[in-house]
Amino acid sequence: MNSPLEGPRGPAIARRWFLQQCGVGLGAAALSQLLAQNAAAETNPLAPRAPHFAPKAQNVIYLFMAGGPSQLETFDYKPQLAKHSGSLPPESLLKNYRAAFIDPSSKLLGPVHKFAQHGESGAWVSECLPNLARIVDDLTIIKSMNTDAFNHAPAQVLMNTGSQQFGRPSVGSWVTYGLGSENRDLPAFVVFSSGSKGPSGGSANWSSGFLPTVHDGVLFRSSGDPVLYLSNPPGIDDECQRDTLDTVSTLNRMRLDATRDLEIATRINSFELAFRMQTSAPDLMDISNEPQHILDLYGAEPGASSFANNCLLARRLVERGVRFVQLFHEAWDQHSDLKNGTMRNCTDTDKACAALVMDLKARGLLDNTVVIWGGEFGRTPMVQGDVADGRDHHPNAFTMWAAGGGFKPGTVWGDTDELGFNATVDPVHVRDFHATLLHQLGLDHNRLSHKFQGLDAKLTGVVPANVVNGILA
Amino acid sequence: MLIYHSAARLGGPYLRFKTGRVWGSLVLILLPLVSDPAAAVDFEHDIRPILSDTCFRCHGPDENSRKAGLRLDIPDAALHPEQGEPVIVAGHPDRSELLRRIESTDPDDLMPPPESGKELKPEQIAALRAWIAEGADWPAHWAFTPPVRPAVPEAGVWARNPIDAFVEDRLKREGLFPSPEADGFTLLRRLSLDLTGLPPTLEEMQSFAVKNPDLAYEEAVDRLLASPHFGERWARHWLDAAQFADSDGFEKDKPRQVWAWRDWVINAFNDNMPYDRFLTEQIAGDLLPFASQSQRVATGFLRNSLQNEEGGIDPEQFRMEAIFNRVDVVGRAVLGLTLQCAQCHTHKYDPISHTEYYRLLAYVNNTDEARMTVYAASEEAQRNEVLAKVAEHEQDIQERATDWEAQLTAWADEARSEPQPDWHTLELAFDDDASGGQKFLPRGDGAYLAQGYAPTRFAPKMSGKSPVETITAVRLDLLTDANLPRNGPGRSIHGGGALSEFELRIAPVDKPFETFDSWERIPVASAIADVNPPKQDLGPEFPDNGKPRGYVTGSIQMAIDGEASTAWTTDIGPGRSNRNRYAIFVLADPLKVEPGMQIGIRLAQYHGGWNSDDNQSNNLGCFKLSVTDASDLPETAYPEEVLAALETPASDWSESQQGTLFSAWRSTQFALAIDNLAIESLWREHPEGTTQLVYHERRDARETYRLERGDFLQRAEKVEPGVPAFLNPMPDDMPPNRLALARWATDRQAPTTARAFVNRVWQHLFGVGLVDTPSDLGSQGSPPSHPELLDWLAVEFMDSGWDIKALVRLMVESATYRQSSDATPELLERDPGNRLLARAGRFRVEAEIVRDITLAASGLLNPEVGGPSVYPPAPEFLFVPPASYGPKVWNTDDGADRYRRGLYTFRFRSVPYPALQAFDAPPGDAPCTRRTRSNTPLQALTTLNEPGFVETARALAEKTLAEGGTSDAARIDYAFRRCTARPPSDGELATLHDYLLRQRDRIANGGIDPTAIQSAIDLPTSEADPAELTAWTLTARVMLNLDETITRQ
Repeated sequence: MNSPLEGPRGPAIARRWFLQQCGVGLGAAALSQLLAQNAAAETNPLAPRAPHFAPKAQNVIYLFMAGGPSQLETFDYKPQLAKHSGSLPPESLLKNYRAAFIDPSSKLLGPVHKFAQHGESGAWVSECLPNLARIVDDLTIIKSMNTDAFNHAPAQVLMNTGSQQFGRPSVGSWVTYGLGSENRDLPAFVVFSSGSKGPSGGSANWSSGFLPTVHDGVLFRSSGDPVLYLSNPPGIDDECQRDTLDTVSTLNRMRLDATRDLEIATRINSFELAFRMQTSAPDLMDISNEPQHILDLYGAEPGASSFANNCLLARRLVERGVRFVQLFHEAWDQHSDLKNGTMRNCTDTDKACAALVMDLKARGLLDNTVVIWGGEFGRTPMVQGDVADGRDHHPNAFTMWAAGGGFKPGTVWGDTDELGFNATVDPVHVRDFHATLLHQLGLDHNRLSHKFQGLDAKLTGVVPANVVNGILA
Repeated sequence: MLIYHSAARLGGPYLRFKTGRVWGSLVLILLPLVSDPAAAVDFEHDIRPILSDTCFRCHGPDENSRKAGLRLDIPDAALHPEQGEPVIVAGHPDRSELLRRIESTDPDDLMPPPESGKELKPEQIAALRAWIAEGADWPAHWAFTPPVRPAVPEAGVWARNPIDAFVEDRLKREGLFPSPEADGFTLLRRLSLDLTGLPPTLEEMQSFAVKNPDLAYEEAVDRLLASPHFGERWARHWLDAAQFADSDGFEKDKPRQVWAWRDWVINAFNDNMPYDRFLTEQIAGDLLPFASQSQRVATGFLRNSLQNEEGGIDPEQFRMEAIFNRVDVVGRAVLGLTLQCAQCHTHKYDPISHTEYYRLLAYVNNTDEARMTVYAASEEAQRNEVLAKVAEHEQDIQERATDWEAQLTAWADEARSEPQPDWHTLELAFDDDASGGQKFLPRGDGAYLAQGYAPTRFAPKMSGKSPVETITAVRLDLLTDANLPRNGPGRSIHGGGALSEFELRIAPVDKPFETFDSWERIPVASAIADVNPPKQDLGPEFPDNGKPRGYVTGSIQMAIDGEASTAWTTDIGPGRSNRNRYAIFVLADPLKVEPGMQIGIRLAQYHGGWNSDDNQSNNLGCFKLSVTDASDLPETAYPEEVLAALETPASDWSESQQGTLFSAWRSTQFALAIDNLAIESLWREHPEGTTQLVYHERRDARETYRLERGDFLQRAEKVEPGVPAFLNPMPDDMPPNRLALARWATDRQAPTTARAFVNRVWQHLFGVGLVDTPSDLGSQGSPPSHPELLDWLAVEFMDSGWDIKALVRLMVESATYRQSSDATPELLERDPGNRLLARAGRFRVEAEIVRDITLAASGLLNPEVGGPSVYPPAPEFLFVPPASYGPKVWNTDDGADRYRRGLYTFRFRSVPYPALQAFDAPPGDAPCTRRTRSNTPLQALTTLNEPGFVETARALAEKTLAEGGTSDAARIDYAFRRCTARPPSDGELATLHDYLLRQRDRIANGGIDPTAIQSAIDLPTSEADPAELTAWTLTARVMLNLDETITRQ
């Protein structure tokens, strides 16, 4: 319990600032002693912080396939489902089962795409994902994911915040809350969105919830000004902007001297960071200096807005020490047009996803970067629609994969029943996945907490969550 | 000792305390932290937080998680158990098992157990030891007993009112002194920002400066409390707590009209509505006797929950989520308690059980999700005028057609002779696939209510078994329902709906819906309806997205003409569309229904707009289908109130019955065609009004169940409304409804209501509440920094008749409030968070006020109060995919609405307005009683570069050139005062002047191009010299970006 005298900054910081800035006449020995005591104190809430234990990874790139990709057309190969296609699912499976749109007692629909085994791991991957199939030995495929929600917005918000309730902090904000960021010139938690729709939960998916708002994800655009209001206003050149900042800072410093309000020091600092961001962000976004073979690898094009560009930018962000990058790509809601729609979504993303993993690996960044791929839920083994070309939302089983960051490569974890209905072997709930991800970052999900409504609120909530050790190298 | 009894008005007894400033100049550096080793341990401050945080989880109120049967949340169990040894032996720490366990070195014995992740610090163990040694005094939790007025400590010369006496008393004990009073400029700006959110004008500054300081201050308080902007400022705080936003949230995040409630809150603060009434109207205004429109609008308070209408939801699941949210709002905003934990299980820390939570929930559960029509005063007048003119015109007809009574009676006799067959209601099954995610909920009376996702163009299929062997006609009733917009009967924003095509089929019962198109089609010969609007194009509320379809609506014939592009609608314009309607479809030949056959019906509804992520549906909202085997069918469908009136013989007609029948009669008379046209055009003058989400008590009370783990599918036992036992009892003379809940929450004995509110008012005026966890006064919250002061204020507030303005006045008139916010090194060292109040708070203003100050300084501010939310310029990409889930309408305002206060900016929950979000405006996803105050580079980018902020710099420059004198110095002084409400120091003046000169130089030598800057600014071209205007625009930009400009100090 904090003393009520301790605000968000303890007295130690105030003392340090006071001694440094105000030059009060203490003996040199006493001064240095006090400073040493407080060396760890830091006013920047995004300053790097030590994890709970030695981490396997420092950064995260989360490829959020919004809408709910069909596991049955991507990674969860179900020959028996093909065999039973057209028949009704066993009633035992449907007990207490609720579907979003369809009558649960709808006919089964076999996979509409072909599968083959790949790599040394022999993982099954569908024909829609030829590029990921080639790097399957770098992936940890989790076929036994399950979640509690089967409507988009609640399920996305659950996947990203651990709760279906809006207003909770997102994974990215928990991570920057726990670890800060290595880069001071760019936001610690960067978000991109591509595809034909935006994420269903909107900004709640990257909200800081009840954590301090500095942990909000910052929505970047993949072309033009990545951050809102990044560019100087028209007609104002860098010299003028610099002069303006210097003048503002000079005047702010005068106020600081008069009021001794540390917040002014922070504001002076914020303006400096903003100016640095004005330089570093355009540099980050300028992918034209990437060699052609890298652009080709991703399928990225300078100036374009695409998932591929975003993947390349994610790599560039991680290279610069940005802690958490999340790419939303919303288009995976194949209630109809399952065959072509899945193929189209895969084509839009497969190459860049694989390129990102390969590129990070080639640069030695994969070891300390976790790449995650997955949506908010899976899709029903049952058909939706009259023309046998759609699947409804399905929370009981879906597939995600991770790569790098100490996840065990070339692994397929867990399994579903022969119809792909339930996660039956080594099921991994969303909260287990969160616990595992935090673990790789050196964070104990039980200790990464924030006092809220009188509780030590955690990403993984109140139901016990488990680190999935079997998928860790 | 001095005791105060009421919040005296200005000029009251407080002034006599102010005789001098003796402490101001004293600065004691490096005073050691005062702590009295002999001081007793304070249970509330030192012990309860340890027990609560460390022990209650397993030894608290929750029976299910309680270990070893031991409770440590109530004294008896620990000190005087019914059986066994007490774990705490008062006065004997070494005989206390509790101490042995927390000091144990054996991990199996140690408490808290290592696996809990909790660990006691040595000083916490020492505190527990000292507390037990001193006798283990264990008072009830401070916030759960009603506050009683404590004695006011003896005050010194510094004190202006009792607040200061409490503050001074604490400071004395800490060996600290108050800060000197802030200078007049600072005080006036502080007061103006705190009370109205707007900086003082130059005239106000001038007038303040020339008066006697105390008198000037009192006058300013009077003026600002009376300002219409007071309500705006204080409404925003309340809006945060109520999680207000202008959209639904979730995936669709559709716009909703809720500004009527927002304006109600503004007006309530401006009218100084007593806080108990303020709460009562918001919780239960609709249940007050003769509830006015305003009182019904007030219940919008609890309707700020998110609403999920994405496809494929179970509406009940998200209705329940909304109810949970409303309990949370009542808890955090009204009671200052967090109840949410008890949604899933008995609270681990506070004494509220799982059952008690659901008993409390039962009070707010019995509601329809209503969206009422609201008329502004001018609209109400216009509406009355329309009704009067219609009546007048009908009067006129009666005067001209002197035999109208005879004609009416004859017409009524004929109408009465129309056959009224018996109708047999169909019990329907719906095809999930064709419903597109819309859910048809059986209402229990044979009708089905459309809820959840509202597709804009679809053709739902349904089937039922015929209760008769031969069908001659099918009847479709479209019914009003409180859960539909404006009461329905449709789902359009007007409560209307359109039926594009009615289709009837028959098939064996085993034929599934997939084969519907092959079911035998039954031809319909004719149709009648009780409303047949003229043919009309679809309105702009159902847009075509640039691909005109030429769809029209009109009479019932349009539902059976085989044309998808034509539809029957119930919408005949504002004022008379929200009522029950029906149509009868007569079959070409009687249909023989063999056993084992099902009737299939398709109600095609293609007349919505293109964007189903917006409010563009035009669906039927509540309907009933029935059949008859009667061979004698009516030829005219009379409206239900006409049929009802017809049951009365002409001789017994009441005035209103006669009026109803007269209107119906005259509308059918060819001879009165011109009159009918005239009356129709009168109706077109009827105002549309706006809508407001409100509470609406259900007629058939909804039963409330305890839900296992908060899961709406896991009903446990039924519960009756009731309140938690640890709070005040429910008055027993009230029916168990929301009104009772409101009376209970505002009862004089309610322990937390007044404390929670005065604490938040304190927080808004001093920066931090006396309790710094404003929505948790429970055992996990922080103890108050000044417990007696908090209680004194709470009692004072209630004694004053819950007078909000008196409370604010009391606080701002205190010497504590009037201190300087400058920190001394000593205070920074001793009290960096300023909890001891030896200085005033200095903090960055809220997001909306950042905007307001900037607009006010520039002179662009449009100070209009109230009205629909506005759309200032915003980056367009935010409102279209992939930034937004679906396309959102953001029609940027032209003209004055661009410059309205931040409070009025339209708020989409899923797409926050960037300039407000950057400064921590909450998105409205959860109640917010205390905002974050961040300080980030994104804020700097916003104030430096956002086009709106650049506009204000240019406007300030223009104003400065026009009104700020002629010399550079005078102009800098002028602009600086507009931004900070004080003159610049010499150093500041010089710094700004140097900057100005440098910009002039660069402009002169071509380094800066004025045209490039000015042409990008979206303001009318200025007459000022472009070079000079630009130099000043840049200089004004510096001033608008100062920390001080957006800081209240």
